Amino acid sequence: MNKNYIFLTILMILLAAGTLFLDNRKDNYQIKPEVLLYEIIQPTRYVTTDQVAKMIIDKDPTLELIDVRSPEEFDKFSLTNAINVPLDSIITAGSQDYFGLPGVKVVFYSNGDICADQAWVLTRRMGYKDTYVMKGGLNRWIETIIQPKEPPQEAPYTDFELYQFRKGAQIYFTGAEIESTQVKKKSSVKVRRRKKTVTASGGC
Amino acid sequence: MGPLIPNGVITGDWDFVIALIIGIIFGFLLESSGFSSSRNIVGVFYGYNFVVLRVFFTAVIVAMVGLLYFDYFGWLDLDKIFILPTYLTPMIVGSVIMGFGFVLGGFCPGTSYTAIAIGKLDALVFTVGLFIGIFIFSETFPLFQDFYYSGYLGNVTLTDVTGIPAAWFAFAFTIIALASFWITMVIEKRVRKNITEYKF
Repeated sequence: MNKNYIFLTILMILLAAGTLFLDNRKDNYQIKPEVLLYEIIQPTRYVTTDQVAKMIIDKDPTLELIDVRSPEEFDKFSLTNAINVPLDSIITAGSQDYFGLPGVKVVFYSNGDICADQAWVLTRRMGYKDTYVMKGGLNRWIETIIQPKEPPQEAPYTDFELYQFRKGAQIYFTGAEIESTQVKKKSSVKVRRRKKTVTASGGC
Repeated sequence: MGPLIPNGVITGDWDFVIALIIGIIFGFLLESSGFSSSRNIVGVFYGYNFVVLRVFFTAVIVAMVGLLYFDYFGWLDLDKIFILPTYLTPMIVGSVIMGFGFVLGGFCPGTSYTAIAIGKLDALVFTVGLFIGIFIFSETFPLFQDFYYSGYLGNVTLTDVTGIPAAWFAFAFTIIALASFWITMVIEKRVRKNITEYKF
């Protein structure tokens, strides 16, 4: 009998038995606090409502909108093709499938910024990339896309361009009617007929 | 840290480079284990040479126990690795066919290539047959397509199916493998005594 075989057999048994005592608890992967701090203060983690509107209108397949409000609020109003993942269930296993898909930009939104920001921090700490927050949330959405305000007369040209886009988006999302600069209602023409004046014809 | 590509340590473009390196190492190890000889390989069926069983069982238990430790140390996340989907009945039938090919031809696909590399003519004939088989299979695939996709269980592991932790399977399999090493050593000695036409 080869002594090496006996030694290796015992070593292998010990190693295999050792796996039985391994702790199954997994250290959840988190990104480093320095990295998180750096990314939190970057403005690039925000997308504007205009960018989101443009992506929805373009039917951009890389956009994944996540609504972090409650299901009741989601039922009342939500953006096109948004997925409802309430904030309290964002770290459950079922919701994890929505994040970290290659080539997909996850955009969180809530009524304001706060809940979406919290969702962003949670998912970012879990290590998911390509997550964004819609700046201003649905409040800003209503202000800019649903009810855009015309810029003042002295505003720069780009403001007017943006306004034009928002007007277009408003029509897309709300089905508002196109306002034309022409006269809105054509006054219907009423034909007034004059009564035939009877002229005296002869006097016999 | 690992798996490297899903965790973004390296990009997916490295696939082929890694495949090439692993392929070279695998081929080298097959050849140096004596797998390029069909006599060594089929010896397992006649009882005079169990090198195939030993090499593959060693590889399996070392990799299995090693991966469990890697997972524990955080070097490799076992939840992220690819698991081959299971099609139960087709897999059983396929492995029976594979076993027949093994004992008839004296090679499995991988070893036939290492044998060609060192110039074995029987391996050359074997691989020609292999490609004819692949061609026939591809052409007649629609006939047994339904069977091919039957018994689908998904990307499951034994732990998923039974609920028994992977460590228990690793331990049990290690015991079985090590026991088989010692038992086959005894069988080998007895069988070799009675073989006179072939020297070991």
